Amino acid sequence: MSRTFPIVVAFVLGVFMAVQFFIPHPRVTGIYNTLLDIKQVVLGCTFMLGVLSLIQFHSRRIRRRHSGAGYSAVALAGLAAMVATALVWGTEQGPYRWMFNHVQAPMQATMFSLLAFFVASAAYRAFRVRNLDASVLLAVGVLVMLGRVTVGSVVSWEWGGETVSLTTVSEWFLHSVNVAAKRGILIGVGLGMIATALRIIVGLERTYLGRD
Amino acid sequence: MSAGAGERLARLDRRLIFLLMGLVVLVPLLVPIDLPVVVSEETRDFYREIESLSDGAVLMLAVDYEPDTMAELDPMTLAVLRHAFRRGVRVVALSLYPGAPGIAQRLLTRAAGEYGMTYGEDYVYLGYNPDWSGTMLRLGESIRATYPKDQWGTATRDLPLMAGVDSYEDVDLLVSINGSKYAEYWAAYAQARYGQRMVSGNTAVMAVFIYHYYNTGQISGFLAGIRGAAEYEKLVGLPGDGTIAMGSQSCGHLLIVILIVLGNAGYLAARRRGTGGRA
Amino acid sequence: MAAAHWAGPSCAQPGDGAPAAGAPSFRVSVDDSPNDNGSALTLTWSPAEAAAGAVLTVLRETAGEPGFAPVGRVQSGVGTFEDTRGLARDRRYRYRLSWDTAEGVRRTPATGWISPRAQWFDRSRLAVAVAVPAFSLLVLVSILRARRGARSSIRRIQGLEAVDEAIGRATEMGKPILFSPGIDEADQPGTIAGLAILGKVIERAARSGTRTIVPNRDPVVMTVARAIGQEACLVAGRPEFYRDEDIYYATYSQFGYAAAMVGTMVRERPAVNFFMGNFAGEALILAETGYTMGAMQIAGCDADTQLPFFITTCDYTLIGEELYAASAYLSRDPVLLGSLKGQDLAKAILIGLIGVGVLLAIVGIEIGGFLR
Repeated sequence: MSRTFPIVVAFVLGVFMAVQFFIPHPRVTGIYNTLLDIKQVVLGCTFMLGVLSLIQFHSRRIRRRHSGAGYSAVALAGLAAMVATALVWGTEQGPYRWMFNHVQAPMQATMFSLLAFFVASAAYRAFRVRNLDASVLLAVGVLVMLGRVTVGSVVSWEWGGETVSLTTVSEWFLHSVNVAAKRGILIGVGLGMIATALRIIVGLERTYLGRD
Repeated sequence: MSAGAGERLARLDRRLIFLLMGLVVLVPLLVPIDLPVVVSEETRDFYREIESLSDGAVLMLAVDYEPDTMAELDPMTLAVLRHAFRRGVRVVALSLYPGAPGIAQRLLTRAAGEYGMTYGEDYVYLGYNPDWSGTMLRLGESIRATYPKDQWGTATRDLPLMAGVDSYEDVDLLVSINGSKYAEYWAAYAQARYGQRMVSGNTAVMAVFIYHYYNTGQISGFLAGIRGAAEYEKLVGLPGDGTIAMGSQSCGHLLIVILIVLGNAGYLAARRRGTGGRA
Repeated sequence: MAAAHWAGPSCAQPGDGAPAAGAPSFRVSVDDSPNDNGSALTLTWSPAEAAAGAVLTVLRETAGEPGFAPVGRVQSGVGTFEDTRGLARDRRYRYRLSWDTAEGVRRTPATGWISPRAQWFDRSRLAVAVAVPAFSLLVLVSILRARRGARSSIRRIQGLEAVDEAIGRATEMGKPILFSPGIDEADQPGTIAGLAILGKVIERAARSGTRTIVPNRDPVVMTVARAIGQEACLVAGRPEFYRDEDIYYATYSQFGYAAAMVGTMVRERPAVNFFMGNFAGEALILAETGYTMGAMQIAGCDADTQLPFFITTCDYTLIGEELYAASAYLSRDPVLLGSLKGQDLAKAILIGLIGVGVLLAIVGIEIGGFLR
């Protein structure tokens, strides 16, 4: 029963959601809207699940004095502080707003900023003329990079009666070669998604149950 | 070039690379470089979509990003709001990312203050909804049912702006500013299913994925990263952080190209001498 | 446009404000809007006959509520107007158009009464309604054939072939494996594919006594991953090997999750990193950090924007749908391989259709109109 019931639910709801896409009648869209409401409630509950898991995980690390338990204490203290200040002073002003603007926002921005450095080191390391494929990748990568900045529009020449710049070349790569490749991958991924969804609906793929 | 020098050039300490990158990004921010901005076709289309909205039209603005991508997306969000408010377009804003409300409120308040807009009549902020896919779909049925209250707890049916706005049919244009795949989801749920006209503003890395939606007309225009923001600011006539950042971006890209050239020079020199020259 | 159609007479009736005899008038018709939920009616008129350059006001009267009220304005040259404002399927409506002239306000005669109707099938989605079941049928037939013993072969996917090598490396080095199922929710195909691989990795790692650490961004994914982990250890004959604290929820914040992963890499020094699922901007941060730590890395991502970053930093990368093929590939289950075969057949048909379409387009034959 514990295995069969979820599979039956997945089948019924999966077929319904697929079929309702083609039926605009209010009797069907009414059911569809109710399902979306249910999904919203379930999603809210899963956040509680995540918070409880977080508390459990870090508490255990502190109790057992794992290396790095200090970081766990900081994590729990941060969680408690944000919740407490939000409850007491609200989220629009006060310590919560201050901590969001002056602690969380800069930390998140810092993590994203790492990408600039990592792109530089990864590009420096990976873009080498080892073979033909790598050389083509290198050449196109350099062209697109230059084409996306001001230098690209400054470096220009006449060709076929028109002024062509690195930006033009970069745009051509992005609009044609890039689109063609992405469409190919997208079609394959789309078919793969349909097949995966089909396997879930008919009960062949049961990974979401946590077991085969 | 000697093999040894070639090896050293091919294996620069990554800390040196990080230092150089930090400098070339920081210096132009402190000492702005005035660089020409050439507007791309996709940015021009993005601008035209908002420019074609009449006084009183409704623009739905989805602010779907968090502080990590703020530096890249704030300039375009602010420019969109300024453009809309300047044209008398009414804005219904919402967020589907948990860290977005603070950003959306800050920018809405700032832009509204600049143009003397009144909350509830000229713009509303519906707030954050955790169920992003359900929300994108439900907005096609009823906005008020999806957001019974706004961010501050006011019933949406009591907001004057929302009196005649209850689904995508009442929205003239959807603008999605995001640093993730949300533009594609909006295109799949709002545009494909409900025919909602939309444009998007994306981080540069995600904008690469928007081109085929743009080519098929599903997304009518888009802004690609900070460069897109600079181009849009130029069209709107209000240069801001996007324009200032172009100096840093240009120098950063040039540095990467120089490093690639140096790395390959070293690699080839080392390989010619038979030492491999592996990174 | 069948029963729900009414076109006003070309001659106006006296006393209703219509143009005087001899003055130009035009016909307006109203129909139920197709492919909707009964909330719209569409007016049409000939732009050539309408008052040139005028802005028409659309007026509507509801049965039982005498009097016309404006519901919209449209340029006469547009030729069509869709009324979606507050229509009910159990009410009847009629329309007329009015416009200003130098002689005063002019109006068309009223249309007949009409009620909007909801359709049971959206014909604008006919192409999808044909293509998806056809494709599904192909996949199901392939699955049925596989159940009856038909064998399917699958080409080598290097990234998946390297799973055993990676686990062996971790075992020899005495270090754990780090596995990330991506940042998407549990209902996304990329996450499901990643979790399918997770089960196989944990099972094989548990057999050799190697720990697998799985930080999660989504609490539901964490729950599923834990169930998978328990089951995998059971199948491997090592149920005691499973530990809850190895499969945990980090944070919902994207870059907070990246920070958690990076911190885990630096502290735990895993021998192998698996990135299997959907990733966004944090992909390069994770992969580059893993590279600098000297870990062997295998990635599979259905978000192709991140593929270049994984390719340059990882030892093996599964591209696009290779990730979805993983559960079939690793289990070699004939039924799952059969579904892959159906997928490939559908792709072959699509490629053929694209080729035919390209050739037809080159010679100037347009056939796509019926698809819209």
